[in-house]
Amino acid sequence: MTGTTTPAPGAAKPTHVRRGVPVRTPHQAAKAGGGRLGGPLAALPWALPAFAFVGVLLVYPFFRSVYGSFFEENGFTSSFTGLDNYTRLADDPIFGRSLLNTLMWVAGTLLLPVLAGLLIAVATHRMRFGGIAQLVIVLPFAISGAATAVLWNFMLTSEGAVNQVLRGVGLDSWAQPWLLEWPQNTLSMIVASTWQATGLNVVLFAIGLRAIPRETVEAAELDGASGWRMFRYVTLPQLRAVTVVVVGMAIVNSLKAFDMIWILTKGGPARSSETLALSMYRETFRLFHVGYGSAIALVLSVIVVASSWMYLRRQMPDVSGTAAQS
Amino acid sequence: MSGSRHPSMDRRTLLVAAASCALATACGTAAGQPPGKVAVLGDSLPWEKPMAAAGAAMKTVASLQLVPEVNPSLESFEQIVRSSLRTNKTPDMLKYWSGYRLRDLARTGGIEDLTDQWDGAVAKGWVDPSLRGAFTHRRRVYGLPMNLAYWVMFYNPQVFREHDIKTPETWDGFLAACARLKKAGITPLHGTAADRWPSFIWFQEILSRQDPRFYQDLMNGRERYTDPRAERALRTIASFFDKDWFTPMDLSHTDAAAALVRGTVGMVACGTWLGSTLAGAGGKPGDSVGAFVLPMADPKARPSVIFESSALVATVKGADHDEAVEAAGTWLHPAVMRAFSGALQDGCPNPKVKAANPVIAGLAKKVRGDKLWLLNRFWEQGPPELVEATVDDLAGFLLNPSSYRSTLRTMQGRADEAWKVWREAERS
Repeated sequence: MTGTTTPAPGAAKPTHVRRGVPVRTPHQAAKAGGGRLGGPLAALPWALPAFAFVGVLLVYPFFRSVYGSFFEENGFTSSFTGLDNYTRLADDPIFGRSLLNTLMWVAGTLLLPVLAGLLIAVATHRMRFGGIAQLVIVLPFAISGAATAVLWNFMLTSEGAVNQVLRGVGLDSWAQPWLLEWPQNTLSMIVASTWQATGLNVVLFAIGLRAIPRETVEAAELDGASGWRMFRYVTLPQLRAVTVVVVGMAIVNSLKAFDMIWILTKGGPARSSETLALSMYRETFRLFHVGYGSAIALVLSVIVVASSWMYLRRQMPDVSGTAAQS
Repeated sequence: MSGSRHPSMDRRTLLVAAASCALATACGTAAGQPPGKVAVLGDSLPWEKPMAAAGAAMKTVASLQLVPEVNPSLESFEQIVRSSLRTNKTPDMLKYWSGYRLRDLARTGGIEDLTDQWDGAVAKGWVDPSLRGAFTHRRRVYGLPMNLAYWVMFYNPQVFREHDIKTPETWDGFLAACARLKKAGITPLHGTAADRWPSFIWFQEILSRQDPRFYQDLMNGRERYTDPRAERALRTIASFFDKDWFTPMDLSHTDAAAALVRGTVGMVACGTWLGSTLAGAGGKPGDSVGAFVLPMADPKARPSVIFESSALVATVKGADHDEAVEAAGTWLHPAVMRAFSGALQDGCPNPKVKAANPVIAGLAKKVRGDKLWLLNRFWEQGPPELVEATVDDLAGFLLNPSSYRSTLRTMQGRADEAWKVWREAERS
């Protein structure tokens, strides 16, 4: 409770009073409308700069995009077309493919880097030279997405390293143009992205593992837990908080995947590997279909916000509890 | 709280300074270059030095100096141009594309009519008059040619000699050269969909060799993609795939240039600007690098060659408008052109200036000597958004050559829509 600064009335013995930050109760705040500390409006001047920043950088552009999506605009002329841009989305096979690719990115990014990060972190935890192993895996994370894409381009082209290795070991039939055909171009890029993104997940899970109380593990060991059972019933539940962060980041990162795809395939060939972020970029800035691009951006924003909100609401009981009460 | 006064004063001063700077930036007008200097905004880093060389040369003939400014991101460059053209913060001059992309810009009213400068250059013999169409909008000229790249077949003369192949003079000679190279274990042709835009190269080359008139009419919306002549061009390309004459479709031009110099790829179709990449890969003009104009498939057709030329444009609202227009008047001066194309190592639109690169000089001599019909490149032909979309269609065809009929139908559907929009805009 907030009133810990004074002992509870009627207590038999004076208890130790913990010094805490003075906190006003809602009752006090309401009463203090014209008081020394000022009413709720007194905070406004302090909050205004923050409101202004968020308004100018986030809220206005968002609503401007929503407004723009009802227009056919080419950068010079603009005409109101109502929901035409949205009906066009429904008919556009490229948008459909783009949506599918985006979902593949979400699924792939959730499955591969998160799982690989968890497994590597657990496997190298308390292992001899585990820190060094983790460092090696973390290193690709230090490379920018663009540089990673250039590196993987050497590997994934028809004459690239992957096919040369496959041919070298006699697996000629496995060699293929990785970036030229759908869906393997999207899948290949997800693997390349996994190579880079796993490192951060390893770090986060390693921190989570170190935060598990020693006593908990020892108690579980005394109860006879080890191996898989220890991982399933002790380690994994203890990693819940970290997992929420890792998965949340993976969802958002996969939805805004751009640099890797842009450098490796430019969304091609024939727009087969575009994601929503790329389609939005191409329509707006290459084809100057500004209104249509805004409509795609809005769909992407709705997906990002909805999936993040649903996920966090589900995974963070405290947040959902407060939200439910309010 | 003692002692907090000075820091808070400092913070206040800092905030005021920052706010003033932001306000000045937001409200200020373009300062432009000092008198005697004109900035030219471009999208290509390799063009920076040639532009500076041209600028220095211009100073000797017109007391004006061109100052290159480069935004190497193509997308960002286009955004700056399009968004600033109506404001007084627009660049003074631009390196832009010719053809429909230039027309698209000209109809905004934001770029200067340079017809007088063009006519002046023609009168002095400083420019090939046949290039006029590529820089024209509603019969007025809105840009001056900067470079003149021909689209040719690069090859390795040493490899050709080794396998007893003559530089093709006829279409059959070209097919025989491909077959001979294939037999020798060399991939005859570079084909690619890497980086998107090169997907149009083979369609452009084959169509213009088979029927240049039809190419010109199709590109200008007077013919249809579903025409049997367009289908024949794609079938010819498909037959090259059947014979396994192409490299993998993800081989970039840079890698292809290196492969040509090494002798593992027989021929690379590209603009003469590839010369600098070939030189970078160790190619020696005349020794390991040669080039020829692909012979006409139909001997009765008018001999032609595809060209590519960037446009020097002056903006209407640029800070140094008058100086920019004056600079445009001397851009095609032989001294300026010599400095520019010499540094760029590309062909020159001024016939009085010989190309510094012997391979390109030889090609220019042939083009002018044989009076080849100069056809603008696919990328600059047709409404820009149609071109942007059809290169993706052609990429789809290159990866699945049997889809040529459906590709052409899709392309025609796009063309119908794009031309309708374009013509409506033309009327307005």
